Amino acid sequence: MDEYDELFEIEDQFEEQFADELEVLAEMEEETSEPAKRPKLAQGDDVSDIQHLLDDQPITPKAKRQKNDTGVVKRLFNGSQTQERNVPPQRDDITPPSSPEHYEPSKTFRSTPAMLDISGFAEIPETPRRPVTPTPASTHVLKRPPLEGEFISVTDSSGNRVYLRQKEEMDTKTVESRIVPNSDGGLGLLALPIRALREQEAERRHQQVVEESQRLTELLVSSVNDVFAESENPEDQENEDPEDAEGRASRLWVDRFSPRHYTELLSDDFTNRCLLKWLKLWDTVVFGRERKSRPARSDRQAAHQNSFKPNQGGQNQNRFRSKVEMTEEILEAELDQYKRPKYKVALLSGPPGLGKTTLAHVIAKHAGYNVVEINASDDRSTEVFQKRIDTATQMKSVLGSNERPNCLVIDEIDGAPAAAINILLSVLNRKDGHGAEAGTETAKKRKKKESILLRPIICICNDLYVPALRPLRQQAFLLVFPQTQPSRLTQRLAEISSQQGLKADTGALMSLCEKTDNDIRSCINTLQFLHGRGLKQLDSRTIQSVSVGQKDQNKGLFYVWQEIFQLPRTKRKRIGEGFEEAPGSGSGFQRFQHILHLASSSGEYEKVSLGLYDNYLSMRVRDPNLQAVCEALDWLTFSDRLNQVILHGQNFSLMKYLPFLSVAFHFLFAHTHVPRISYPHSHHEASSHLLSSRNALSTMLADIPASIRSRIGQLSLTLDILTLLLDIICPKLRPVNPQLFSSREKDQMRELIATMLAYNLSYRQDRTPEGQYTYVLEPRVEDVARFSGLPPRRQLTYQAKQTISREMEQEKMRRAEQMMLQRNPVAKVEEIKSAGPKLTRNHQQRLENIVKQTTVETRPEVDFFGRAVAPKPQGPQSSSDSGEKCAVLAMGTAVGNSDVWFRFNEGMSNAVRRNVYIRELL
Amino acid sequence: MIKNRLVDVLKVQGGDFPHLLVYGPSGAGKKTRIMCLLRELYGPGVEKLRIEHQTIVAPSKKKIEINTIASNYHIEVNPCDAGNQDRVVIQELIKTVAQSQQIQSSTQREFKVVLLTEVDRLTKDAQHALRRTMEKYMATCRLILCSTSTSKVIGPIQSRCLAVRVPLPSKEEVCSVLTSVCKKEGLLLPPELAKQISDKSGRNLRRALLMCEACRVQQYPFSADQDVPEPDWEVYLRETANAIVSQQSPQRLLEVRARLYELLTHCIPPDIIIKGLVEELLNNCDGQLKTEVAHLAAYYEHRLQLGSKAIYHLEAFVAKFMAIYKKFMEDGLDAMMF
Repeated sequence: MDEYDELFEIEDQFEEQFADELEVLAEMEEETSEPAKRPKLAQGDDVSDIQHLLDDQPITPKAKRQKNDTGVVKRLFNGSQTQERNVPPQRDDITPPSSPEHYEPSKTFRSTPAMLDISGFAEIPETPRRPVTPTPASTHVLKRPPLEGEFISVTDSSGNRVYLRQKEEMDTKTVESRIVPNSDGGLGLLALPIRALREQEAERRHQQVVEESQRLTELLVSSVNDVFAESENPEDQENEDPEDAEGRASRLWVDRFSPRHYTELLSDDFTNRCLLKWLKLWDTVVFGRERKSRPARSDRQAAHQNSFKPNQGGQNQNRFRSKVEMTEEILEAELDQYKRPKYKVALLSGPPGLGKTTLAHVIAKHAGYNVVEINASDDRSTEVFQKRIDTATQMKSVLGSNERPNCLVIDEIDGAPAAAINILLSVLNRKDGHGAEAGTETAKKRKKKESILLRPIICICNDLYVPALRPLRQQAFLLVFPQTQPSRLTQRLAEISSQQGLKADTGALMSLCEKTDNDIRSCINTLQFLHGRGLKQLDSRTIQSVSVGQKDQNKGLFYVWQEIFQLPRTKRKRIGEGFEEAPGSGSGFQRFQHILHLASSSGEYEKVSLGLYDNYLSMRVRDPNLQAVCEALDWLTFSDRLNQVILHGQNFSLMKYLPFLSVAFHFLFAHTHVPRISYPHSHHEASSHLLSSRNALSTMLADIPASIRSRIGQLSLTLDILTLLLDIICPKLRPVNPQLFSSREKDQMRELIATMLAYNLSYRQDRTPEGQYTYVLEPRVEDVARFSGLPPRRQLTYQAKQTISREMEQEKMRRAEQMMLQRNPVAKVEEIKSAGPKLTRNHQQRLENIVKQTTVETRPEVDFFGRAVAPKPQGPQSSSDSGEKCAVLAMGTAVGNSDVWFRFNEGMSNAVRRNVYIRELL
Repeated sequence: MIKNRLVDVLKVQGGDFPHLLVYGPSGAGKKTRIMCLLRELYGPGVEKLRIEHQTIVAPSKKKIEINTIASNYHIEVNPCDAGNQDRVVIQELIKTVAQSQQIQSSTQREFKVVLLTEVDRLTKDAQHALRRTMEKYMATCRLILCSTSTSKVIGPIQSRCLAVRVPLPSKEEVCSVLTSVCKKEGLLLPPELAKQISDKSGRNLRRALLMCEACRVQQYPFSADQDVPEPDWEVYLRETANAIVSQQSPQRLLEVRARLYELLTHCIPPDIIIKGLVEELLNNCDGQLKTEVAHLAAYYEHRLQLGSKAIYHLEAFVAKFMAIYKKFMEDGLDAMMF
């Protein structure tokens, strides 16, 4: 009994421990396999297994029969085991719910627990058909009859008897016993089903292995094993048939052989896995499944979360993590409040033909989604785009067979207008805001569904760095596609070509891959093309001689320059290179062709030639007599003239001669070293600099008075006048107040200012970045006249410049005044008359009057009305009529004596008004 | 002081004259003579100048803005300001001027004068446009073309004009002008300094006067051995030429390229650069090499006119010179050895 308990415990632990793997295995049976699993199998083991398996021929047909049997059993299980059904779906988080039959296998495990699992897992790979020995770990299969409880004794084919504990599943087994009669002649009800099931299990495993083996053999040996093909193909077809119908109809191989399953994907495993994981993160919100169903794992997760937290906080500091780690972390990161992953959008990027779109489709399908695709062929105007996103993310088809949730795949998003991308972003973000408000009511799923994005979106682009994508880049889970491995691609190509009866050796396929830069689509298309031409035998010669498949693609400028300046390494096989690989023989011709092709396909002759010009002198080429340099420059001048003729005469047929410049440079300067190439800025810099100098000169010329203007042109200005003029306007000035200048100095100053005015030069105060004030000559002709390498000319001091600029302002005003006077001489006279008083008319006129009054009044000593008045001291008690005058008088005298005065207005208001100006107080 | 033969021409012709093509190097006094001529024709009214901004609409609806300097009797245009569109300027502007009759022809001359400057920089199209205009409006308008050389003026135009060459003044003339100017300014110019200035100015009178003034600013009581300031670009060009002669290698060529770019961005025309370089380089060459270098310079200068990226051609010339010079020097060394 003790022993029994122990065993039981062990079993439990076992289940827990290998839950992951079981799951994975289950999945492998269902459809294909968990991504990580397959590649991890050691190749050698596999092969040996396969070999072993291949020895017994009859297996395969038998497998089919067995499979059918299981089908029956399954169906029966479904019928009877309704109460058990509720338990398992929680277990599996990878299988989608929409395909219920996938669950069946795991259920069968359940119903006949542990034993099957263990034996299947531990032993089947090696000896699937070996007679069953009582497994030691089993608690249900015992060698001795159990002490308590009911049991059944079982004798297996080799005659060993074991005792099986009977458990609650009695009813099931009775059912089974009814359907599966004792064909083997075994004991009791239980023995047979278990064995049958075991066998089924083994068969299924075996099938799996066989499938695998078939694939591997195909890969390893390019010729097909006919027996296998026969035995395997029917089944393969059976699997693929429904989906394949359309592919078969279309005549392009690309469609026909596009991967249908996760394992068939040729793209990088890591990328595939990352995308799958990311998509799986959505399961919680989309399918309502817990993300971590496994308690052990969730425990671990919980334990980890504490340690993760600081990590995530310090994410910014920890920038040096590898990209892989970063991606892993993103995938490990917690879900947000709505149980969505942190990044709502995955953005796949990479060159064409790597299978990005295929990957997105396959994975979405694999994860149980219904793929809705928007691509460049659709209208992507804002409204339509918005509508389509909403439709795809918030609705679900109710009719029809595929009642799966949608997964939106936006293909070729780099071509979409920025507005469309903004809409996508707003879908991601705006709804976040909504959600935050309604964050408390998490239970109300209905309401959330209207506002929050609850479906995964996968975007696909070729160029990740398109400006329009910039905002999206920050919010998306970025996956950059690496190049497809040529080996995998070749394998796949070999498969295809063998299926199509095209004989191709590995070398030929390899060179095809190289030619197309591992572009899967292009490879397959080329293959089909060659096949279509009736070619039955494919070797590298034909591949190289054929011009199809070589993409006329735009390589980067740096790539072009590098190719031009670098000799091809001898072991590197070039595409353009001809028919024999012998390095010495025709390499010149091949290089010529290659560079010519490269240059003409890049198209940007101007940029290319500028780059060549900027870089060729820094190449490490031994050229003591400068012969190569001279020749290169002759080529450059030739292409410049050619360009001129093309542009002026619009004689574009000459364009075809432009790429030969690159070829010439290649033969002159190519070197085995990797060249260091810098982007050609010099020409652009020079032209912008030239433009600014021209502008300075023309602004200077524009305002020079006509009499001088007629004597100077721009050319004479730059060549003769300017530098000397700048010397002339820098006289030696004593650093004193200009009022203290001697008459000669004053003359000099006047002359200087006249010159500067005549040539439209002036000083403008400017502030340097350091905060100092300087005076700079305006327009900035100093830059035009002065050269950097020469000894600096004498400069005026800051004070001198300040003085000059002030004097100039005054002189300008003076001249403007004179101009005005000249223009209307009538006004001049009046103005001169009124010039004095006009300045200070307001009060001084009155003052003068008052002063006059006093003088007048003091003389006759008679008041305003003719009466004699004694001068009184000013006082408030004076009578109203004479008081006025007294005040006036007093004011008059006061005003006569001082500049400050005020007047008190009686009667009208009690306000005191004083007109005091600051300038009078000074 | 400087004889104005143009005025003589005028006197011979009795107040009328054919179209003129005045050519000669910069600073020789072309414009001065032309203005003298105009003054002789129309009196002092010619000197009341004003700047007019004119807008011309090209057939392609592109607006071209151009400044003209005009008096009541003449108009001065630099068609090159319009760049490639100079043909339109010639066609539109000159026609309108030429078609309008002079008011009060009894007291005035019955023709206006159109003064075209920098004719050598006119495009061929514009020059051809000029041909017919010159003949058609002979009655109302005289053209005076002003250019530095006749080589870039097409034959038909040369044949329609009376070509007048204005040579540079001789050094003595420059000296005498300088002294007379200084006398008028009340300055005392030592003859040694005048000589030095006239040497340095290359007989360019404009430059000579400017140099003189710069000297004055530098230090007034003149001293005989005073430093005469030179234009920066010439100094820079000379240094560049020295750099070329002192070493011949791709690295040096790279440095020279930077200097050439510098010169170009300071608005120095490439043909002036190549000319300056040749002059400096020839000083450093042996006799045999001189012809070759001169030939090279001519060749690359021609290329430069045909092309659009001056820097390529300048550098090509420099590289070629380097190659020749290096070879020559090495040969010379070999010859010395044996």
